[in-house]
Amino acid sequence: MANANPFSDPLRFERRVPACAIVIFGASGDLAKRKLLPALYRLALDRFLPENFAIIGTSRTAMTDEEFRAKMRESVEKYSEDTSLDASLWSRFESNLHYVTGDLNDENLYTALGAKIAEIKHSSVLFYLSTQPSYYGPVVDAIGHAGLNKAPEGSGGWRRIIIEKPFGHDLESARALNKRVQSVFQEDETYRIDHYLGKETVQNILAFRFGNGIFEPLWNRRYVNHVQITAAESIGVEGRGAYYQEAGALRDMIQNHLLQVMATIAMEPPALFEAGAVRDERAKLLRSIRIMKPEDVPRFSVCGQYKGFRQEEGVNPETQTDTYAAATFYVDNWRWAGVPFYIRTGKKLPRRVTDIAIQYNTAPLALFGAGSGEPTARPNYLILRIQPEEGISMRFLSKEPGSGMRLRPVSMDFNYGTSFGNRSPSAYETLLADAMLGDATLYTRQDMVEASWKVIQPILDDWGARKFSFPNYEPGSWGPAEADAMLARTGRKWRNS
Amino acid sequence: MATVANTNVITPEGILRDLNQWWKDLAQSEAEANPTPTDDPHPKTGGLLKACAMTFVVAAQSEVDARAAHETVGLLMHDHPSRAILLHPTQDPDLKATIFSECWQPFGKRQQICADGIEIAAGAKGFEEVSRFIVPLRVPDLPVVLWCRGSAPPETNAFHDLFGLADKIIFDSATTTDADEALRGLRRLHAYGYRVADLHWTRLTGWREAVAHVFDDGLKAADIRSARVTYGGDQMTTCARYFEAWVRTSLPTARVAIEPEIADHPGLYSLTLGTRSGDIVISLCKDNMLEITGEIGGVNRQYRTALPANAEDAMMREELGILGADPIYERVLNA
Repeated sequence: MANANPFSDPLRFERRVPACAIVIFGASGDLAKRKLLPALYRLALDRFLPENFAIIGTSRTAMTDEEFRAKMRESVEKYSEDTSLDASLWSRFESNLHYVTGDLNDENLYTALGAKIAEIKHSSVLFYLSTQPSYYGPVVDAIGHAGLNKAPEGSGGWRRIIIEKPFGHDLESARALNKRVQSVFQEDETYRIDHYLGKETVQNILAFRFGNGIFEPLWNRRYVNHVQITAAESIGVEGRGAYYQEAGALRDMIQNHLLQVMATIAMEPPALFEAGAVRDERAKLLRSIRIMKPEDVPRFSVCGQYKGFRQEEGVNPETQTDTYAAATFYVDNWRWAGVPFYIRTGKKLPRRVTDIAIQYNTAPLALFGAGSGEPTARPNYLILRIQPEEGISMRFLSKEPGSGMRLRPVSMDFNYGTSFGNRSPSAYETLLADAMLGDATLYTRQDMVEASWKVIQPILDDWGARKFSFPNYEPGSWGPAEADAMLARTGRKWRNS
Repeated sequence: MATVANTNVITPEGILRDLNQWWKDLAQSEAEANPTPTDDPHPKTGGLLKACAMTFVVAAQSEVDARAAHETVGLLMHDHPSRAILLHPTQDPDLKATIFSECWQPFGKRQQICADGIEIAAGAKGFEEVSRFIVPLRVPDLPVVLWCRGSAPPETNAFHDLFGLADKIIFDSATTTDADEALRGLRRLHAYGYRVADLHWTRLTGWREAVAHVFDDGLKAADIRSARVTYGGDQMTTCARYFEAWVRTSLPTARVAIEPEIADHPGLYSLTLGTRSGDIVISLCKDNMLEITGEIGGVNRQYRTALPANAEDAMMREELGILGADPIYERVLNA
């Protein structure tokens, strides 16, 4: 978006969010309490928000403004990880917190919201759908019917909407929801959030690839043997069993977060670093992922469920839900033809880690094989760690000190936390500020959502038609044995360290 | 944590040798103090990490000034780990060197991060050799920043040689009695191709941010017909000059004036932006706050915003964060 402010100085200070209001649907829910309010408070603390920035919360729970403020204060105190509550700032911040009680299916709620927006005199409004996904369509329709999707004429204001994942349940429902949203909001007013894209380390992938001259020449099929993307959690469903059994690992993680990460890793460099150009390249990459043929799905995907999932609260004792999913994807373009991208995610794995490992081809000749202490030449790894211990490592071989030519793998590490003393904003801080500033670079677009559902759909269809003998992995293990077999077929193995 | 050791060897090679030994000793004592438990199956990385992002040369004006500078350097290390070379004059004609390190441990980590530094004290004769000393002490391949604590560098030719080594030279024109002469000096250096910065410009960031936010809030540059900058005190400061030039170059079609104001303290006092629908006034009020009043984006507004405290380390942190071109400062300096 062009910056028309002649006084801006991006080297010294950030643009401030313009005067606006945010309406949070589902304001008494977990996401609002744990993520949204702490992020908004932190933005206020960092002086990103104007003094009269307003938050209107709405949900079915009956509350007064005061009760809502007290509840939100509690959330900010409890869930702000590295921010303590400043009493004087909070008193100014909470004076702009408002609450409207209502049922999402009741049109009176939208009339009341319209009246509240008029009362606080904001022409620019950001709607945030933090409700059950089944409400997305009805709420968008109701916003349209109440005329809240248009700023008053001549006011210079805007209306935008942020929609949480999952955006649809499959390709068909995603298309239907897109159609419904687009009948009320324009595409440039629609912000589909994928909080992984707001993570500093995911954004750093772009800086790493396109800000340095030495890596990009090695970023292709000539040098890269394969790529592994892992998002492992050590915990189980932790009381979210009822929700999780409807989603599963493939829908919950791979369709959105991990395919977006893969797109960031594999996309072509954009001509400009601006929303349209970056999103065009991501979308192009997602469209280049080979769609699996039905007969290939069992070979290129693995479905798992940990022992004990069926005994979790709210979970059907015979559920076929995947708590582990792994897949092999190929990108059919010149850069990546023939290079497998292995993606896996699961619950109750040995530890919480999200990383991307790029394995390079080994040296063409095992020069130091015999007597070196190493059986053959080892491949080099470039590892991009997203969480925890965000950073980048390069693994290579080095000569051990002493006589002889004994080689040992060593690591060259860059650690975000120790290299930059300043605090990294949370993904929600980044994404909320971007939406208010009208910058959609880190949001997903309709074509990206549909392209990623297209990639996943054959797997969903296959898994939906099969009956697996679950459970098939022990908590604390790295998933089902079939996942190892999937890589072993091509002579590769997962990095389980 | 800062630790120091005297070095008796006053050649650059000797200083570097002492530094190397110093690092080895530091690593050994760290390893002895925090041995890695052998029964821990997943030991966290411990040990010592040497961090360095630049060579940071600080030219203090006196021994007292050097102590203050040393403190600021310590505060800057977390964000800008560097090899600090602290120079200051003494009565003693000979060069003397002391090596030191700044170490810290990130919260929750076992690994200690350290940066090293060298303090060089020199009399007038010794200063002539300063640039010869600093060339080999620089960290290869990393930028060199020179911070001249004061409005102008010490008047020695040798010192001027240091300019040629620096990727950025930071001054502070706050104490100058002749703003126009100070700016002419900075312009001259800039014209010679040196990348200069002035902390008296950095002090304006809070003001400038407040003005920019008024435009983020919906005020349009095309609506501004005039701008009036006022300052307190008896004499014009570089700060007021910078601010006026910044407003003038940002609003090329508006009439911009700068005038003195009767105010409690010297420095920038207010900015009045004239529009068809009235004035928007940004003025300094008590407790280091700015008050903003006027119609902004079609709404009558009155609010206050706090100015940053402008501590020396905070301003230096801002300047060290900009090692490349600073087009807005350069535009204003040359306006």
